[in-house]
Amino acid sequence: MADVLSVGVNLEAFSQAINAIQALRSSVSRVFDCLKDGMRNKETLEGREKAFIAHFQDNLHSVNRDLNELERLSNLVGKPSENHPLHNSGLLSLDPVQDKTPLYSQLLQAYKWSNKLQYHAGLASGLLNQQSLKRSANQMGVSAKRRPKAQPTTLVLPPQYVDDVISRIDRMFPEMSIHLSRPNGTSAMLLVTLGKVLKVIVVMRSLFIDRTIVKGYNENVYTEDGKLDIWSKSNYQVFQKVTDHATTALLHYQLPQMPDVVVRSFMTWLRSYIKLFQAPCQRCGKFLQDGLPPTWRDFRTLEAFHDTCRQ
Amino acid sequence: MGVTCVSQMPVAEGRSVQQTVELLTRKLEMLGAEKQGTFCVDCETYHTAASTLGGQGQAGKLMYVMHNSEYPLSCFALFENGPCLVADTNFDVLMVKLKGFFQSAKASKIETRGTRYQYCDFLVKVGTVTMGPSARGISVEVEYGPCVVASDCWSLLLEFLQSFLGSHTPGAPTVFGNRHDAVYGPADTMIQYMELFNKIRKQQQVPVAGIR
Repeated sequence: MADVLSVGVNLEAFSQAINAIQALRSSVSRVFDCLKDGMRNKETLEGREKAFIAHFQDNLHSVNRDLNELERLSNLVGKPSENHPLHNSGLLSLDPVQDKTPLYSQLLQAYKWSNKLQYHAGLASGLLNQQSLKRSANQMGVSAKRRPKAQPTTLVLPPQYVDDVISRIDRMFPEMSIHLSRPNGTSAMLLVTLGKVLKVIVVMRSLFIDRTIVKGYNENVYTEDGKLDIWSKSNYQVFQKVTDHATTALLHYQLPQMPDVVVRSFMTWLRSYIKLFQAPCQRCGKFLQDGLPPTWRDFRTLEAFHDTCRQ
Repeated sequence: MGVTCVSQMPVAEGRSVQQTVELLTRKLEMLGAEKQGTFCVDCETYHTAASTLGGQGQAGKLMYVMHNSEYPLSCFALFENGPCLVADTNFDVLMVKLKGFFQSAKASKIETRGTRYQYCDFLVKVGTVTMGPSARGISVEVEYGPCVVASDCWSLLLEFLQSFLGSHTPGAPTVFGNRHDAVYGPADTMIQYMELFNKIRKQQQVPVAGIR
């Protein structure tokens, strides 16, 4: 505490100044007590007046003395450093209305809670991986013991690694081409072109897929400035439906320890859309349902179903 | 531009062209389609002038100049089996200047006019084909916006056509067979219209009983 927050603050002088404030308060209250008590009972009126005035003067002198002491000490205390080591969240702590907007304390509690949650989840996943349900040899059990307490977070991966993974996936399928760009900082944006059927814009956060937008092959995916347009929806209902399904898919394929497997599975699932207009629904056998072709692809078998026909 | 199929709907027995069109539009509205304005496709024919032909008596080639209200700033020029040119509307003025080489065949202007309907991602246009003052037939055009490769979505289009044309569903247009995996373009639509207009021109005047 002393070395982080109070650079420039003299703690000794600080505590002395607090004592001096207490002394000043008590001498001021003595002045008012004296005034309240009035003159003491003495033989003559003069005597009473003199005693009163002397007493009153003494009290005022002590107030003066304490005030000077306090001023001297406050000059010694110095200013706290202007830098906020807490950056933006520290600015929230400057708001004094604690009853109505207890933002800062809630923020601290939320942060502590999420840290604890992450720690416990890491411990739990390590234990669960040891008790594997699969019969195949699982090397995760071995590495669980060797894994250090502070897990290397997959949220902070070097961009070069992400580029490598994506280019390997690009070479996996001939009809699917992936183009990676980083127009907004370190998060990668992929433009996946699947044959002549559709284009998908995938926004990533290190190696995790954040959002996808699916558009038609002939639709424009760039804004007027030439940047990738990651917000506008497709003009066609079928691709709006496929966008919803793709969002469901990226929520379904989750594996925090191995994000490159997740990206690979997602791309394999996406590739099944090459036959979006050619494959009939596996359940009802027809092509159209309410004007839409079978837009749903099963996550395990990659079979085509209408949105209303899926189990 | 999505994959488009242009076909002709034969006039129902015992009814006029107008009534058949109304039957079709009512079926479409029952399916759930929304009306979205009108459309017009027209076509003019030009002969290559006799003076430009070589002395061997080659047959003059026919050139068709067409317009489509879906592409209001464009003009399409095509030969029967030849290439299709997509130009802007100044091409019409150019044709006037080329009077020496291309002569307009009189009374050959044929056009189709009607209403547009939107159903999910399908755009359906039902129009009456007229040559001069007389109605000669009915044209039906269905466009499926999202798909741009013809061979991919023919089965899908066929299923949709069957849902409201019933037994009058056409076979696959010839342009679909020519171009595998090539991106479909407006020129292909105009070729289909040209073939349709030629077929209607050869037909009798307003067929009475079920001549396809």
